[in-house]
Amino acid sequence: MANRAQIRTSSSALIAMIADEDTITGFLLAGVGNVDLRRKTNYLIVDSKTTVKQIEDAFKEFTTREDIAIVLISQYVANMVRFLVDSYNKPIPAILEIPSKDHPYDPAHDSVLSRVKYLFSTESVASGRR
Amino acid sequence: MQSSENGVESRNEVAEGEQHILNFLDSVDSYLILMDSLSSALRQGWLELASARHSMGASRVNCALFDLKSHHASTTVQVNNDLPHFKLCKWASSDDPEKYSEEGKFEEDELFQNKSDGPRHRHQELQEKRTEEGGASPVGTDNQIQKLFLQAQKERFKTLSMFGTLVSPKLRATQLSFETALEMLVEISNTRASLLHAYDQVQKDRTNPK
Repeated sequence: MANRAQIRTSSSALIAMIADEDTITGFLLAGVGNVDLRRKTNYLIVDSKTTVKQIEDAFKEFTTREDIAIVLISQYVANMVRFLVDSYNKPIPAILEIPSKDHPYDPAHDSVLSRVKYLFSTESVASGRR
Repeated sequence: MQSSENGVESRNEVAEGEQHILNFLDSVDSYLILMDSLSSALRQGWLELASARHSMGASRVNCALFDLKSHHASTTVQVNNDLPHFKLCKWASSDDPEKYSEEGKFEEDELFQNKSDGPRHRHQELQEKRTEEGGASPVGTDNQIQKLFLQAQKERFKTLSMFGTLVSPKLRATQLSFETALEMLVEISNTRASLLHAYDQVQKDRTNPK
């Protein structure tokens, strides 16, 4: 895959969303909805009929688009594609796991906190003391 | 002499390392606090949306009504690649996003900080201020703020009109709650970037002990 070009400094970029209908509705009311000329949106509504493949494809698309700076993903959706979310380590777009109505935020599953929790583990403390 | 210089140097390095650890812990703390605030803002928004759906009917507030015609987002993010740093730009004209100026955005942020006042009250405040000062205030700045305010209101109305011309006040409240949530999300993005930067510094200090 070709390297993703960096977003130009101080240029406007979009916020993408992969979440349930109510969360998407709320953020569209806040004005983040974008539809391009090819009728591609910057969001994916996840319901009971959405497949894991669709979520994976949307995540890969949003993280490779040049015009997206932040990707919001409900944490329960992120858990369905955990391997993909955890293996993502680029600074832009920023991947933010957000709570949903039926699934409160769990810091234990957050990919950013999972990455840094090693520093709090006993192994880390023990190796630092050697 | 050399050994005392080395001693001073190593003390400075230890202090720097400890500062990195403190920065990291502060970032983690901020991140968790912001996520908690975000949860509250979103809960408020979902509750208001449910109320709006209850008063307007489920058929009037659902995803089938989303605007799928080509249009630009009114609310975007500006990114500075250093660190990186994100800045929210709310309610630019969806017809021409480039019209939205950086300076105007800052003024509008100050204007929208106190949401409890409501847009009508804020508009009245602007009018009163202009009457009291009798034109002593810089008219240009007032005009710019008012223009931005009206622009934002126009974009808000355009977004709400997706669900019809007459909408429940609860839907407007939902809009404001999710705007608040967006602001928090941008703050969380910046805190996330600081957290990861601080983490990299701490890792570097651990793997390359001086």
